[in-house]
Amino acid sequence: MTTIIWTWVAAFFTLAILSFLYKDNPLYKFAEHVYVGSSAAFTVLYVWVFDAYPKLVIGFKEKAGMQKYMLVIPLLLSLFIILRFIRPLSWLSRWSIAFTVGMAAGLGITGLTQGFLVPQVQASFLPLFVRGETVGQTVLLTMNNVIIVFGTIFTILYFYFSREHKGVLGVSSKVGVTILMLTFGASFGYTIMARISLLIGRIYFLLHNWLRLV
Amino acid sequence: MKKEVPLAITFISGLLLVLALFIPHKPFGNLEEIFNDWFIIVSGFTLLLGIDSLLGYNFHKIKRKDKDAPFALILILSFFITLAWGIIEILRTPEHNPFSPSSTFSLYFYNYIFIPLQSTMFAILSFFIASAAYRAFRAKEINSALLLVSAVLVMLGRVPLGQDAAPYVISVIFLIFAVYFYAESTGITETRTKLIYILVALIFVALIYPLGWVYFKKHIPEFADWLMNIPQMAGKRGIMIGIALGGIAMSIRIILGIERTYMK
Repeated sequence: MTTIIWTWVAAFFTLAILSFLYKDNPLYKFAEHVYVGSSAAFTVLYVWVFDAYPKLVIGFKEKAGMQKYMLVIPLLLSLFIILRFIRPLSWLSRWSIAFTVGMAAGLGITGLTQGFLVPQVQASFLPLFVRGETVGQTVLLTMNNVIIVFGTIFTILYFYFSREHKGVLGVSSKVGVTILMLTFGASFGYTIMARISLLIGRIYFLLHNWLRLV
Repeated sequence: MKKEVPLAITFISGLLLVLALFIPHKPFGNLEEIFNDWFIIVSGFTLLLGIDSLLGYNFHKIKRKDKDAPFALILILSFFITLAWGIIEILRTPEHNPFSPSSTFSLYFYNYIFIPLQSTMFAILSFFIASAAYRAFRAKEINSALLLVSAVLVMLGRVPLGQDAAPYVISVIFLIFAVYFYAESTGITETRTKLIYILVALIFVALIYPLGWVYFKKHIPEFADWLMNIPQMAGKRGIMIGIALGGIAMSIRIILGIERTYMK
């Protein structure tokens, strides 16, 4: 019985959101506001359960010595954020924000270098001639590597704005735009497929779980 | 003092993390791990600022008796009900976790409220994307035509019906291009250019059978994969390298105190 009631609740919210396809209406607005409110609370709970509680509370319980007492620093910085609501002391919250911004910047340098820049550059160093088992395979593998290497270079050159796009730079940036269009088109098609599969999931829920028609 | 201390904190915390990468020994060795834990704790608390802003804005709407005031009340109520439900489950469940499979929060709120709302919200985006595509994908210019063709080919290659539909779709696309080039040629007076346009139109007509009915009928999934793995990868890689370079430059500016917008 409980499942039936909850299935009706889920069907109501699904139909309420879908009703926006007709036009903006109170039913949609109701579901939209429930979604925003509940997902904000969901995020608070998630951050507490998976981040703050294990790192801070359990950390205080389980860690020993210097490591334990060092946790006072993030605790203080976290409390400083709450001081933003007390006007005479609100300037202290800048310390916490400065810490998070500094950390994000530090992680930005190390993380982007290790995780993005170096692996992507490394993966672009490909041989421009690959010998396959057949002539067709040789042509295809070579063409693929040429597209990846020069496509990457020309795409980057398109975003180089320190010189006017004329001559060699003009031609290469035009090829870069062509590659970018293919990229955006393919990504667009892929995104549509993902959204359509979500829509199929919701329609299947309505027809199978709720109405039991299929 | 109110400005110098935050700038010093940003400089030291950012620099220490960079140093920890290059000096993997004590005292820097495990600094990244410790700082990362602190970052997770402190950034978790910054969420409170966002919640304060969201609730404050909606309380203000109710106070002003705005026309959306009833919805603002619904938002606030749904926030507190969800939060209370989660807290009760934290206290009630043996794991102190509302996300554990046995908790009612996970069983009912997550499965029957959160998931339907979220997935339907993203699902209706497919209609808006289709409407945006109608406006953006004009086959009038070569670049937007490429955008259209690559999107259509990827979509055809990723669905079971795509292989059967591919010959028809390719025929229609090629016919559109052929008619476009022929129509353009009628307005051109120079004979050589006119002939080139007519030739391009004829090439499109000639390609309908070998490409649409022979090649794509059999190999559209492989072609869609090739499109995703080779040209798409090249463009994406260029963008990712650009993002990384921009992100690194911005991080250096923040650490050195050149970029201070976060202090406002």
